[in-house]
Order: sequence, then C-alpha cells, then structure tokens
Amino acid sequence: MPDAPAPTHCPYCALQCAMTLTPTDAAEAATTPVTVAGRDFPTNRGGLCKKGWTSAELLRAPSRLGVPLVRGADGVLREASWDEALDLVAGRLRDIRSQHGADAVGVFGGGGLTNEKAYLLGKFARLALGTSRIDYNGRFCMSSAAAAGNRAFGVDRGLPFPLADLDDAETILLLGTNVAETMPPFIGHLAGAQAAGGLVVVDPRRTATARLADDGRGLHVQPAPGTDLALLLGLTHIVIAERLVDAEYVAARTSGDADLRRSVATWWPERVQAVTGVAAPTLRRLARRLAAGGNTFILTGRGVEQHVDGTDTATAAINLALLLGLPGRPGSGYGTLTGQGNGQGGREHGQKCDQLPGYRRITDPDARAHVARVWGVDPAEIPGPGVPAIELLASLGRPDGVRAMLVHGSNVVVSAPDAAAVRRSLGALELLVVCDFVLSETAALADVVLPVLQWAEEEGTMTNLEGRVIRRRRALEPPAGARDELWILHELARRLGSPARFDTDPEAVFEELRLASEGGIADYSGIDYALLDSGAEAYWPYPRGGAGTPRLFAERFAHPDGRARLVAVSVRPAAHPAPGPGEVTLVTGRLLEHYQSGAQTRRVPELLEAQPELRASLHPATAERLGIGDGDPVVISNRRGTVHGRARVTVDIRPDAVFLPFHYGDEQAANLLTSDAVDPISSMPEFKTNLVRIARLAKAGALA
Amino acid sequence: MSSPLRIVLIGYGLVGARFVEELLPEVAAGRIALTVVGGEPVESYNRVLVAELAVGNTDLDAMLVGDRASAEAAGVRVLLGVAATAIDRDARVVRCSDGDGIPYDRVVLATGARANTPTLDGVERPRRDLASLGKHAASLVARDDVLPEGVTALRDLDDARRVLAAVRGRRRIIVLGAGVLGLELALAAAHAGAQVCVVHHGPIPMPRNLDRGGGHVLRSALRRTGVTVVAHSRAEAVGYRTDADGTRRFDLLVTADGKQLRGDLLVLSCGVSPRTELAVLAGLRTAVGVVVGPDLRSWTDPDVYAVGDCAQVVERTPETAGRRDLPGAPAGLVAPGWRQASWLAAALAAEAAAIRSAGADSEVAAEPLPTERDAIVMLKAEHVDVVAVGEVAADPWDDDALSPRRRVAQWADPEHLRYVKMVTEDGVLTGFVCVGMPRTAAELTLLYDRGGELPADRSLLLRFDGPDHDPGTDADAFAPESTVCWCNGVTVARIEASHACGNTTVECVGRDTRAGTGCGGCRGRIAEVLARAAEADGALTP
Repeated sequence: MPDAPAPTHCPYCALQCAMTLTPTDAAEAATTPVTVAGRDFPTNRGGLCKKGWTSAELLRAPSRLGVPLVRGADGVLREASWDEALDLVAGRLRDIRSQHGADAVGVFGGGGLTNEKAYLLGKFARLALGTSRIDYNGRFCMSSAAAAGNRAFGVDRGLPFPLADLDDAETILLLGTNVAETMPPFIGHLAGAQAAGGLVVVDPRRTATARLADDGRGLHVQPAPGTDLALLLGLTHIVIAERLVDAEYVAARTSGDADLRRSVATWWPERVQAVTGVAAPTLRRLARRLAAGGNTFILTGRGVEQHVDGTDTATAAINLALLLGLPGRPGSGYGTLTGQGNGQGGREHGQKCDQLPGYRRITDPDARAHVARVWGVDPAEIPGPGVPAIELLASLGRPDGVRAMLVHGSNVVVSAPDAAAVRRSLGALELLVVCDFVLSETAALADVVLPVLQWAEEEGTMTNLEGRVIRRRRALEPPAGARDELWILHELARRLGSPARFDTDPEAVFEELRLASEGGIADYSGIDYALLDSGAEAYWPYPRGGAGTPRLFAERFAHPDGRARLVAVSVRPAAHPAPGPGEVTLVTGRLLEHYQSGAQTRRVPELLEAQPELRASLHPATAERLGIGDGDPVVISNRRGTVHGRARVTVDIRPDAVFLPFHYGDEQAANLLTSDAVDPISSMPEFKTNLVRIARLAKAGALA
Repeated sequence: MSSPLRIVLIGYGLVGARFVEELLPEVAAGRIALTVVGGEPVESYNRVLVAELAVGNTDLDAMLVGDRASAEAAGVRVLLGVAATAIDRDARVVRCSDGDGIPYDRVVLATGARANTPTLDGVERPRRDLASLGKHAASLVARDDVLPEGVTALRDLDDARRVLAAVRGRRRIIVLGAGVLGLELALAAAHAGAQVCVVHHGPIPMPRNLDRGGGHVLRSALRRTGVTVVAHSRAEAVGYRTDADGTRRFDLLVTADGKQLRGDLLVLSCGVSPRTELAVLAGLRTAVGVVVGPDLRSWTDPDVYAVGDCAQVVERTPETAGRRDLPGAPAGLVAPGWRQASWLAAALAAEAAAIRSAGADSEVAAEPLPTERDAIVMLKAEHVDVVAVGEVAADPWDDDALSPRRRVAQWADPEHLRYVKMVTEDGVLTGFVCVGMPRTAAELTLLYDRGGELPADRSLLLRFDGPDHDPGTDADAFAPESTVCWCNGVTVARIEASHACGNTTVECVGRDTRAGTGCGGCRGRIAEVLARAAEADGALTP
C-alpha cells in the first residue's frame, strides 16, 4: 500500500531543492517506487535539475546494495548477515584499539550525511571509539571559505542571508563558481543582476555560468588559473586608490584597514594585468561597478577556494566586500556557496577533527565541558583535536597512524587528491569499513561494506547553503537488508561496550543535538521537528525560546568586539607554479549531470548516457599544437599519475589550461593528478592549479 | 652566544621596504640587528604611483607600503628623514646627517635613482664626480638637484605636490621627455583637466621600448586624448618671467629649432640615474650604478651590498674587471628590485644563522639569483594601453636567412589606434609591442613570462580584443547543439524533436524533456524554439 506523498528535499547539492516524492502503486514499485515532483520553495521555486528529476532511479536500481558484504580469505566480497558483519567489525576494532591505542581507529565522514548522522558520527568517534582521528570530505570543499569566514566575521555560515535576497541585486560577482551546472535552479536568482547588466563571472573557463553574462547582462573575466588572489588584491587596490571605500562603514564596523591598505598598495592594475592576464581597463571597470552602490553581492565558490592559498583568497574576497561595506547591509553581502547537500550542517556538529557540536572548538575548555555534560561524560573523556583529512589519509597503515577506518558517505579514492596514493594508503589498512548504498570505488576496496538507506527512505534534517535547517522525510520503506547509519552506530557502540547513548530515532538524536549545540555558534536549540514540520523558516543561530536569524551581521559581527577583521593577505609566488614548456594547468570541476565522485549519478542511466566518460576540455590552439582532434583518446599525466579520457576541443577554456571533471573513477579519475599539498590554515588541498602534460593516445598497432 | 649581525640599510623605498619585511623574523629572533636610514621623512611608499598622486587620482594613504610599527616592534631601528652622508669603511660606520654614526657589519645600499636634469641653458646642473662630491658633499650627497621655480622632476612627494597644484589649477604643463614616466604623467594630467604638451626628440615616443609602428600609433593615441606632442625637438634653454611677488619662475622652453613653448610648469622626465654618491665617496667601484656581482656584493668591499635602482649587476671576470665601461644598467623597474631584496634578505639571514651555529664567519652557499630577462614595460594610463618588451625592431619582411629562428608577425590599424607586433624565436615569444589592445597585451605578457609557445595561428591572440571575442555571442542560439535549458541539459535539437512528437507548448515540452523545469529562466527561449519549429513546419506545408 503506497504511503502518502512526502514533502522533502533533493538528495544532491546544498541548494536542497524542495521536492515531493509520491509513492507509486505496487506495479511500478519494483523499478520506480516514487515519482519526483518539484515543490515550491524559496530556493528552487518548484524547479529541479536533471539530477533531481532522476534521483529516484537509484532507489531500486540493480546496483543498490541490499545486504552486508564481508571480504573472505580469498579476497572476494561475500554476502553476510548483519550480526556477522557487525560482530566482525566490532571485534576487529576492539583488537586494533587494544593493541595500538584508540587513535589507531579513524573515521571519515561526509558532507552529505544528515545533521543527525554527522552529529552522532562525531559522538561515536569520540566516545565509542575514543579516537581523535575523525575528519570528513568537507575538508575538500568548504574548509577554506570556512576558515576565512571565521577569521573575518567570527562565524561561518555560507550565505549569511536568504538566497532570495539575490533577486534584487544590481551587481553580483561570482568568483570561481559554475552554478549553472552545479546547482542550476540557483540561476533563477541571478535574473535581477542580469537585467541590470551586473552579473560578473570570474572563471578561467567560459562556463555555462560565464555565458549568463553575455549579451550585455554582465561581464566574464577570465584570469589565468591560480591568479585569483592577485586579481582580488588588484580590485581592492583600485577601490582604495580611487577612494571608493565605504569609509564610514570601515571605521565603524571593521578593524585592520591600515594593514590591508599597505598590503595592496603594490598591486596596481598594470601589475595585476601582467600576473593575471586580465586587462587593466577590465579591472578598473569591475572595481567601479562593484563600488557603484546599489545592491551588490560577492560570492565565492570552490574555484577560488580549493587552493593551497584558498583561505587567503577567500579572505581577499571578504576584504573587498568589507571595504565596500557590503556584509550586513540589507540587500548586499558576501557569501560562499556551499556545495554538498549538507555541507553546511555537516561542518557544524562535530565530524571535523577540531570541532564539537554547535561549531564549538574542541580545544575550548568551556565547549568541552558543555558537550561532556550533554553526553554524560567527564570532559577528559573527550579526545583532543585530531588531524585534517589529508593528514589522516596519509597516516593510514603507518606505524603511528590509523590502522582501521570507517568511511561514511564518501568515496575517497575518487574525490581525494593524489588518488593513487589514497588507494595505496587504504590498502595498507588492517580494516576498512565502508557504509554506502552502492559499491563505490572505495566500497569495492573495503573489508566490510554496510548497506545504508537512501534519502527517500529516511527522516532527518539538513542545513542548506543559506544556513536554513530543513526536513528530510521518508517516502517509502527501505529495502529489507539496508539499515540506517544511526542504527549501525548504535549497534557498533553496543558491541564495543560504550555506555554512551546512541539513539536510533532521528528525532531523538536531533533533540540531543539541540542540547549539544545550545549556546554554540551554530545554535540549533530553538529548533525542533514540530517547528520545521509547521513550515517555519529556521535559520541558525536559533536559540531556545528565541527566533531564527535569516540575516547575520545587521548590527554586529561575531567577534567579541562586534567588528569584522580585515586581514592582510599576500601572494606566495611558489603557491601556483606557472606551466613550463609543454605543460598546461589542470583545472578540475563539475558537470551538470554528475554529483561529486559520480558514485550515484554514474548509476543513473540518463545521466551516464549524457556524460558517459571523461572528456578533457582543451583549447583548439593547444589541441592543434599537440596534434589532438576533437574526440581523440588522450592521456593526461604528471609525476603522480596518468588519466585516460577523450579530448573535447573547445574555445571555452584558456590555451594554457585543461579542464577535467572529477566525477569518474579508476583510470578516469582526475584526482590521480592532483597534489596533496594543502592550505596551511584550512588544510584544503590544491585542486585547481596542478601542472600536467597531454598527449594523444597512439592506437595500438598504428603507424607512428 | 655571538652578537647579532649588524646590518644598516640605506634607503627605504619600495625595495628597501621589501628587504626590511623579509628580514623581520631574523630581527625578531635576535639574529640580525637592522637599522634603516631613510632620507624622506615619511613611511615608505609606492613610488610607482607617484604620477597618480600628482594628478589627484589617489592619496598618499593608499600608497604606503612600509610598516614601520611592525618593524620597530620586531626590533628594527628606523630613522626617517635622516640622510646617510658617508660610509666610513675603515671604521665600519655609516655617518648620518643628524651627526650619528651607526656601526655595521654589512651595509645595504638601496638608495634608488634620481631624476636627470638635462643640459638646458638657464638650469644649473651639478656634477657628482668624486672631485665635486669632495668639495660640496653637503649639497650633493643625498640631495636632489635644486631646480628653479616652475621646473620640477616627478620622483618624490614634493614633486607630486608641485604637479598637483598645476593640475588643480588647470595650468599648462610641459613635459620634457617621452619615456614611460613622462607619458604616464602627461596622460593622467590631461585626463585630470590640465593642458599638456610633451616635447621629445626623435620621431616617436617611448623610443627605447617601441618600434616605429607602435610609436606612431601611440603618438596618434596621445594626440587623440588631447595631449600636444612636439616631436623631433631637442630642448635647449629655459626662459623665465618674474612674477608680481618678485619670484622668478619658468616661462618658456626653447628648442634647438627655435620653437618657444610657453607653460606654467616644466616637468623634466629625462630618465633617472642611480644615486651612487655614497659609493663614489667611499671609494667603491661605480659605473652607471654601484657595481655589484650577481651576489649583489660590491666589487670593492664584500661587506657592502646594493639592490634595486642604484645597483648595477655585473659579473666580475678577468675581462670585465679590466674594463672602464661596464655593461648593463639597473632595470629601473620594481619587480627585479623586489627579487633582489628578497634574495639578499634570505642570503643574509642564512649568513646570520650560520654565524650563530658556527660561531664564526662562514660562507653560505645559496641558490644564485636568477638572471633577469628583459622587463616588460607597461604604460600605466587609463585610456591608452601600451605594453612592450624585448627587441622589437625586426620587421616581418626581414631576410629570414639573417636570423633563421626569428619570425615577426604584425597587425597595424592606426586609424583605430591598434597595433601589435610579436617577435618569436622558434615559436617562443622574445619580444612584443602592443598598443590599444589590452586583452591581447595581457595574454602576450603571460606568454612572454612563461616562455610559452605562441599558437601557430597568431591571429588568435588578436581576437581577444575583438567585439566577437565572446564565442557564445557568435554561436547560433538556434543551432541544434545549443543548450537551451541548463538545469536539465536540454538542447535545441531535443526540443525540436519533442515538438515533432506533438509537444507544441512550453508545458508539454517541459513534461517531455524537463526543459524549463529547473530555474525556469529558459522558458522564453523554449517558446522561441517552438515558434521557429512551427514556422518551419508551416513552410513545408504549401
């Protein structure tokens, strides 16, 4: 008997488009158990993209995992019962812990997990495992913007204003974000700026988003890869030199402007032109447009953040916004566009190595005391800070490193940089446990694979890119063999003999999360399921008995003195080596049809058909020089690895760069080529300016 | 524990400030004791922008680069408005205008350059040879030439104030010299409302940087922005008038061919010369500048270094050591000076650390400073865009046999003030001139810097500045492969196919293909595609 239609949100990106899932009748249930319809909501206004429309196809796909898998002595994964699998995992974890200490067990989380799962995973690591070694794939997404936001504003909420505020903007500067492909319904909010001729897209690629600025609707600025920071310093220089600063705002609401002025005094437009390839007149025009008054937003994305100087680059964007007086001014602002479905909530509640729920710092004694009280333990029982993702992955199998790891909602052998090294590291583990609902590239390497639920089968909350907490609702019963991760954590904790409480009911977990977050930066204590189910808007911080906060910074920033920090940053010449003869800069990124590592979307026939394999975008001039034609098989390589794909010859990319989407696995994984060098502040890896060579793949047996 | 290495830096301009900044950790750690002697009584500022200041486009506040407070907090002694008057190498002391003597282990000269005063009847032009310096040290060392009222160079803040007064008063300004600095001022002042006349000898402006074609296009561009250009004119004399208050001030410039150009302010922009007088007096080898080896050490005294615009880097070989005239000259641009400052700071830090650990003077091998390529020259002006570098005199029709690896490609459109010349060797850019095409110039700059190979079709680089550059705009919006709905990746062809299956409304097409079911922004275009498809159907049905 079909259930009632469930109002929920899309399983994919942080836009969290609202959708209604309606169970179908029994005849169709075997293949299409629910139908998907867009639902009116301020972010997507009833629209969905191709990924959302096809999201239900995975629910009963043949590739869906329906039973635990355990690797046998012969190296083959075999079906096992839940008791067998969980007993095995708990037993091995206990052994490894007793032999090598608690920090020999690691946990790797994901930005797609619900708030409840992310929260409970952090608690599970700290209490049931007693390990400090937990981090998550958000380290590869939001860490630079988060670090910059915390440093400047004292708080990190991706958009500190409702998305619909963009509708009335005259000028929107998009830095390194391709929303037209990554979260297409977003572009509806750009129409106002387009109509005002003020949509400015900064991207080395001529992306679908860059094209939205065509025909007088704005401007596409195409700097050389890795020169974003210099570009922003140059814009800041012009704003200062031409006296376009909102002096009253800077004096009243910020500190640090003297250092900032000094730091950009040497970035005059012609110097910036020489570094970035963006003409000085373009820089002046852009700076003046940004300062022209009217509603103006500056938004950053992974393009400028996924760098070894990503924190500084995001900081430079914030500095520019502050000098123009945008943050906190009604109708204007700065924001970063969170990518993963729960990339916002997932970075607030304790799956980050240095963090406790409520966006609390794990090193803060008051924070530890508060969370320990909620958890019913002594603060000393909560381990200290662990290590960020890249360091965690590098430690696998090392003598003092992690020997057993649990992976939840992440496909690290595709999504982490230097993927070959990650694969080797995973191979060095004594135990790898992966929770997933398909056999992802990472799950295929596991010793134990635990099949979990999909979004349509579970209850919970997500926090979208606006910092708005929303409800995920169950539309249908999960397959018999799959289990909720909350239940898995509960069962493992029980087997490990943990006295701590691990509820299996999402609402009970959320109630605990409310308490744990209370008084923290990301305070959810005033939110409950009943409130969310009433349709109320719930932007954090939402203290108990208070109201939510759609717009931050109206009166003050979150530092104790209420002022935002202008932080002088500088270009490190060694950060982004320019391509030498024969080399091009590798830019990685996304396609409309695929999400993250592609583990889900590559299993949706319609999406796979549209983008079945890795295409390497290169400029016709580069292709001609290398003797490569459109559609030719090519190899892209550097000292870290070799990737196979097919050439896509296009003028949409600069001649000094190649673009690879990172959605493919195995020999098509772009991250085989990316470096594990990280930002010193955020530990964000460098995904956008690695150097590679490209060659046409000679056909076997063909004449040279 | 040995005492810190005592370093005295003379000069606190852009290069000196960079040197200080890079040494701060060493100073804070107590390994180096640094004293800075800066002649101007202000915080270090970005001299590159002095023309902007002189026309009122910016404020000093936006040009400050030095961070005296941080330097002093780290333990640096900063003396501003104090001139170094002598380096006593025997006593190892730097003598200062305030009577102080600062002992040193190492001296770093970053004294920069001063504006040249050309030979003009009516303007005194002091010599700075050893004999004159010996006699008139007080007026010549660390001092600029004293110029008559109404005549100025454009180098420091006082100069900028003089020019700004003329610009504000919309006076007539004569700029003598058509180098980069002179033209930057001329263009900015004209834009700010002054009447500007540029006087230069030779046929074209920026003759050191441009070829004939580029120079002619630039001259046209200057004229079109309202700057008067008087070419082929050697200035010979200056005439004065006496104001009502009895001040004798500049009145007119007289050229060799007899032209008399009246003006309110004469700005001398006739190049610069390194400030070498301290080195000359101290008996250090100088040529154009203070002669230093690739390690930036004086040929004469290994405890003295020079960086930036006062330094002439020449490797000492048996051949060069015997020469009277030495090759090369300071670049006159800030980027090489910054690289020298950073390199020297690192080298001295390593030396200080080595002294610490070894307890004695020891040689520290460092990566040598990379050889500078020709520096790219960019005219900083808002409405005229000129970028040039390298040897650009070659012509496309030159005999290939004479330079078999070199090729020249050129585009000239003087009417629209556009000109590009690209000189390559084996396909790699070795020089270029680019006038009036800023995006092309920016791309060529990157290619030159990186030693990248030019595309075989050189015209690719010209199109950056074309109105058709947006590949999107010249693409056919109704081509079958054009995407209509980005949210769902639906093309024109797919919508047409849907139309052919009987889906004739936006809603029907949406149900069939999902086009228009995302953000909804493309619904208008879907309607257009459907309308065209319906029209085509109609056309087929007679």
